[in-house]
Amino acid sequence: MAAENRHNSGRVRKIVLFCVFSLLVVVTVPLIPYAIDAYAVAGKQASVEKVAALENPAINLWNDVRQRNERTQGLTQVQGVDSGVLINKAGEDWRRFRVEQLVPYGAWFMGGILGAIVLYYLLKGTQMMPGGPTGVRIPRTTLNQRTAHWFTAGVFWLLAVTGLILLYGRFVLIPILGSEGFAVTASACKEMHNLFGPLFILAVVAMFVLFIKGNMYNLGDLKWFAKGGGMFGGHVSAGRFNAGEKTWFWLVIMFGSALCVSGLLLVLAALVPGREVLSLAHMFHGISAVLLIAVSFGHIYLGTVGVEGTLDSMTTGSVDAAWAKAHHDQWYAEMMNDSAAVEAADQEQGSGLVEGGVAKPGQAPGV
Amino acid sequence: MARMKFYCDAERCIECNGCVTACKNENEVPWGVNRRRVVTIKDGEPGERSLSVACMHCSDAPCAAVCPVDCFYTTDDGIVLHDKDICIGCGYCFYACPFGAPQFPSDAAFASRGKMDKCTFCAGGPEVTHSSEEFTKYGSNRVAEGKLPLCAEMCSTKALLAGDADVLSDIYRKRMVNRGASVMNWGVQFKKAGIDG
Amino acid sequence: MFEQLVDGILWDIALVIFFVGILWRIIDVLRRGTRRDLSVPRNSGVPGAIMANIRGFFPRREIAPRVRMKVIAGYMFHLGLLILLFFAAPHVKFIAEHITGFSWAAMPYWAFIVTAQVAFAGLILLWIHRLLHPVTRLISRRDDHVGAILVFLVMLTGCMALAEISSELRVFHRFTVELLMIYFPFSALMHAIMFVPSRAYSGATFGRRGVNL
Repeated sequence: MAAENRHNSGRVRKIVLFCVFSLLVVVTVPLIPYAIDAYAVAGKQASVEKVAALENPAINLWNDVRQRNERTQGLTQVQGVDSGVLINKAGEDWRRFRVEQLVPYGAWFMGGILGAIVLYYLLKGTQMMPGGPTGVRIPRTTLNQRTAHWFTAGVFWLLAVTGLILLYGRFVLIPILGSEGFAVTASACKEMHNLFGPLFILAVVAMFVLFIKGNMYNLGDLKWFAKGGGMFGGHVSAGRFNAGEKTWFWLVIMFGSALCVSGLLLVLAALVPGREVLSLAHMFHGISAVLLIAVSFGHIYLGTVGVEGTLDSMTTGSVDAAWAKAHHDQWYAEMMNDSAAVEAADQEQGSGLVEGGVAKPGQAPGV
Repeated sequence: MARMKFYCDAERCIECNGCVTACKNENEVPWGVNRRRVVTIKDGEPGERSLSVACMHCSDAPCAAVCPVDCFYTTDDGIVLHDKDICIGCGYCFYACPFGAPQFPSDAAFASRGKMDKCTFCAGGPEVTHSSEEFTKYGSNRVAEGKLPLCAEMCSTKALLAGDADVLSDIYRKRMVNRGASVMNWGVQFKKAGIDG
Repeated sequence: MFEQLVDGILWDIALVIFFVGILWRIIDVLRRGTRRDLSVPRNSGVPGAIMANIRGFFPRREIAPRVRMKVIAGYMFHLGLLILLFFAAPHVKFIAEHITGFSWAAMPYWAFIVTAQVAFAGLILLWIHRLLHPVTRLISRRDDHVGAILVFLVMLTGCMALAEISSELRVFHRFTVELLMIYFPFSALMHAIMFVPSRAYSGATFGRRGVNL
């Protein structure tokens, strides 16, 4: 029984092997012509590649002129920026970006945000303090912070207006002022933009130093975002700064820095080699500027007509207790419980009578 | 209407810079401004070629597309000119131009470039033709006298051609036919490379 | 028309009002004389007058930390404006052509721009400070704001005319300068001249009384 079994298993193995072998043959044999074909094609391709790799001065010349393969610098007697380059490809990309993207999309984006804000205001109106002002004032910002804020705001809007005139004046102002009139306006705007630009660096640095405290994100901010910042009714619990204010702060710092770096490159164009860097700087500058201007509409709306009592924190430096309780309940509780904190803040505030509070060494505002 | 063009024949240009000199002298351009330049590719290597380049008077000019004050205009002859009274010297045309044609009299820090200057195809500018204002701002106006740009007129090997695009094409086509196409003479001998037919 | 007015008659009027006004203000101050000090002088007034003039350039140590911003911004603006006024290339040319007849070395363009930026930063900071600080806001009169805004406008129109490519912008700058010159003698802007005799007067008074300045 056992021997028969062994004999049987041997036969089975043989049959299986035969089956597998014949299957292989049946499958592969019809493929042989294809394989030969493929081999022939590969060989042909190889020979074509060999031909194409051969030197052809006429084609190579125009490849070099068009900078198709690498950045080739020709030799020329003329001294100047990129004078050795015959055809610069980057310019066309920049032109497409400016004419076909920055100008139309920027207008739609800024206009859209502005329209949305106006619509929101018409629907909801000013958000009043619940229960009206109490008359109890809570110090919120120091004199240095307010000075830095208005310095930044002033420089930002001067730059924004002059920049927007340079970007959209061709379409909006030339029909009104005429070519010559707009040339004068544009020249004035360009000079103001270039001169005030570096002041914005000062402003961004001052904002960062004076407002970084309290503007770090924490877990509670997620809840704020989830509830849309109370845009659709109801107040969201928040500390000294809510998540929206924190986001605005970081947008100003990040895109403000991008504006400063790219703007400095554009203003010191003589020190920048080549045009690629400049057109790239221009793209960053345009995108950051459009974004910051659009978001600043929201900031201004919320700071003035949007929410009653908010402007006080940037004018007198103190806010009404009702405002604090409604919009920054955690901060309000902190200030109310910790009388020492109130006193310290009061002192820092100088009760409005001592100038600038305690100036920290090396932190003179705006320097 | 004619469509004015430059064409530089790379097989003929000998990098003598005669066109550059002719342009500077004819238009009395300021120091540091070069309306035309000769660029040599692969200098001292096999396949060295030179090309003379200036404003190419594009049909769809990038400089005009990006100019914030819209100071460019195209004449009936297809020549791209600009108005220096309107130019604010922002330099955008220089970023956009593929040929590096726009030039600025100064490149001091804080972007005081001065007004842009470029090749006018020797066609002056928007001022009264042949007035002294036109000459000081834009250089000479040879086109109004029925002449072609001096750079091309003075080219010793007739590498640089200027004129109506159709005429230029005909001249260049005839040259190519007579040369037997530069690719065959100067480039690869396809039979040797193993390509039949 | 406007250009001729600004370059011609208005400039002459402004120049006359500026100098005559200043002279009139100085004569007015001198004519008032000094109050008789009947006490026996403990010291001569001269060292006090000189000391007060020097001392006035530095903040008192006790209040220095609190006025640091005002001092820094004040120096940025005043020094910047002074340098701009006398060493900016277009100003040197203008003064030589219209007033003195001789010229001196001007700043390079980049230094001109940097100085203007420093002066602008100082002026804007000081004016914002004036508006925000409860005490300075209280003691500021309309005159102070008008002076600040006029000086800012003069600087801004100057900045707008930087490219020197259009006569409109140059005339606009000159027009604001003329307004400032007319306003100058009748305003707190006179401190540009009066700070020296004023410090000297109080310094001398204190000096005679033996106050250690």
